[in-house]
Amino acid sequence: MSNLDYLKSEHHEFLDAAAEAMADDRLQGILGQLNDSFSQRNRDAWNAFPGSDQAREQARAIKDETLAELDKHLETLERSVMEGGGTVHWAADGEEACDAVLKIARSANAQRVVKSKSMTSEEIHLNQALETAGIETVETDLGEYILQVAGHRPSHIVAPAVHLSATDVASVLSTVSETPLANNRKELTAFARRKLRQSFAAADIGITGVNFAIAETGSIVLISNEGNARLTTSLPRIHIAIMGMEKVIPRLQDLPYFLKVLARAATGQKQSVYASIVTGARRAEEIDGPEEFHLIILDNGRSRILQGPLRESLFCIRCGACLNACPIYRNVGGHAYGGVYAGPIGAVITPLYDGLSENHHLPHASSLCGACQAACPVKIAIPDLLIKLREQLHQEPGQLGFFETAAYRFWARALRSPFAYRFGTWLATRTLGRWKRRSGWLQRLPGKLHGWTQKRDFPAPAPNRFRDWWKHEGRNEP
Amino acid sequence: MNRDEFLTRVAQAARLGNAYRIHVPPRPENVSYVGVQGDLCDAMAREVNAVGGVAKIVSSHAEAREQIAALCKQYSVLSALCWQHPVLNRCELDDLLSRQGVAKHCYDSLVKHDWSQRLQIAREADIGISSVDFAIAETGTLIVCAQPGQERVTSLLPPVHIALVEESQLVPDLLDAIELLRRSDGSLPSNIALITGPSKTGDIELQLTTGVHGPGHWHVVIIRESE
Repeated sequence: MSNLDYLKSEHHEFLDAAAEAMADDRLQGILGQLNDSFSQRNRDAWNAFPGSDQAREQARAIKDETLAELDKHLETLERSVMEGGGTVHWAADGEEACDAVLKIARSANAQRVVKSKSMTSEEIHLNQALETAGIETVETDLGEYILQVAGHRPSHIVAPAVHLSATDVASVLSTVSETPLANNRKELTAFARRKLRQSFAAADIGITGVNFAIAETGSIVLISNEGNARLTTSLPRIHIAIMGMEKVIPRLQDLPYFLKVLARAATGQKQSVYASIVTGARRAEEIDGPEEFHLIILDNGRSRILQGPLRESLFCIRCGACLNACPIYRNVGGHAYGGVYAGPIGAVITPLYDGLSENHHLPHASSLCGACQAACPVKIAIPDLLIKLREQLHQEPGQLGFFETAAYRFWARALRSPFAYRFGTWLATRTLGRWKRRSGWLQRLPGKLHGWTQKRDFPAPAPNRFRDWWKHEGRNEP
Repeated sequence: MNRDEFLTRVAQAARLGNAYRIHVPPRPENVSYVGVQGDLCDAMAREVNAVGGVAKIVSSHAEAREQIAALCKQYSVLSALCWQHPVLNRCELDDLLSRQGVAKHCYDSLVKHDWSQRLQIAREADIGISSVDFAIAETGTLIVCAQPGQERVTSLLPPVHIALVEESQLVPDLLDAIELLRRSDGSLPSNIALITGPSKTGDIELQLTTGVHGPGHWHVVIIRESE
């Protein structure tokens, strides 16, 4: 198994990690499958769904309208949750959210926590906070559980352990079983089922994320294929749900549009196996379900995004379709991106959450081909957002060196003057153009320009200018 | 940061963000409605099978009863976790299970135990037998709402889940079902599960494996109503 640091650490150079990932043959094979199975299923699902385009527009419109009055919808949500006997906690950042969880855990004297997969809890590093406080925390999504035992970070939103083979998984899970486990999917899964059932039965608190929160009813909606989200919200005595504040939708009747597009985008299913609509704790007379319900509403930089040109990134419903569709993701995998969110949407939001200068490679980790936008269930214009980020990046002090500034200034001046342009193109065709007439490519550029040709060739200028060809031949052609 | 500061900041951001709202073209009235062409029972059965379940259409409660008996034999069931529900009563489930020597656990018996005993019984049950509140024919989805007599664990903990669905419980599309979920006072049950298939994972090498957390075997018996 690979022991590369980037499987575990969140901060590294994109290019270095990408190079390592691309040299890893096994990883390359798995990433290829992501395209073949998930991405194809996504396209098939859109084709098989009459009116899919309008359903996606509808979901997108609801997100846009909700964000326009986000504060009001959050207040409604709070009121509904309280009316149902639940408690709402407001967290401006990850630390406040972790503190809220720890406070609930302490007052309940909780020793053990089970979690169902939540990107938001990854974002706020909740597991570390719980472990530091001495509370045993078990991830229950099979992929997340494997990663927790291995000490790896997730590499994909919906298939977090996609970078591991069955053999890897067997050796990871063998470290927590009494007898070594065989390299067999069914047996490994059955082992995890038994092991995690014990954790569910022993847990004091179940922690989940939130796929959607319905303001008018005070409900949270959880989607899973495995059923661990249902167990997490049915067996432990206390249920804590943590939501990024953009997850709210106003009405129950808004939910079907999202349910119809989410599973199709994520895995090509019409519906995920389980969608739970959880409204508070168990009611009087009911004999299963949690006795307490807490909802933590997290900002953590989202209000900053909401007020700016990258607002549309808050539409994201975390389906992972853009990852599967992206030619860059399919080559470098999830870990190369650093941060919690990988792929095209990660390239947009990781710099927004973690700082643009620190993640300056990410807005460029895209060919802007638009496959992500075509796959997105809410049609986020990810290429446009990446271009806006690139613009912002170039306005940050220190991002453009002296050489680059001078080069762009020279370029702008040359394009403004007809004489300079004519002379420049003449010079380029007579020198580089005729010299590289045969191959048409430059393998190595000098000085600072070397950065371009390190990873790819640079197209050489044509041996003749268009204007010369036009003068001699073009205008005589029929 | 306290609640009011939090919300003030969000209100300001939402206002400034209005400059970046998107344009969405108008959508038709019935946007995203798919529905079903033809018979609801047939569509339901087709979809249940398509998502990895086993559907059986029967034409009477007596036939449904035979199906349950066969499944109890097939899975060597000793202990069953059951809803208390009119559809199960119409199939005379109590009588059937006692004839087969299956221990039946339901609300009336479980309520006498404390939580850890209840959980123990539920974890050891071989099968869960429920009905549904509604079922969606277009996707093969069961909708089960929590309430006394309709426990969450019935469709969740045992390795096998059987759902008995009467034709009148079928609706064509999710959009038909969603407003039916409300109680008469407009509130929602504490827990609503939309179930579409046996428990699944693709987490190991993207290969489909069933029964990871919930039931790995999922049977839906559809009772067609005779005129």
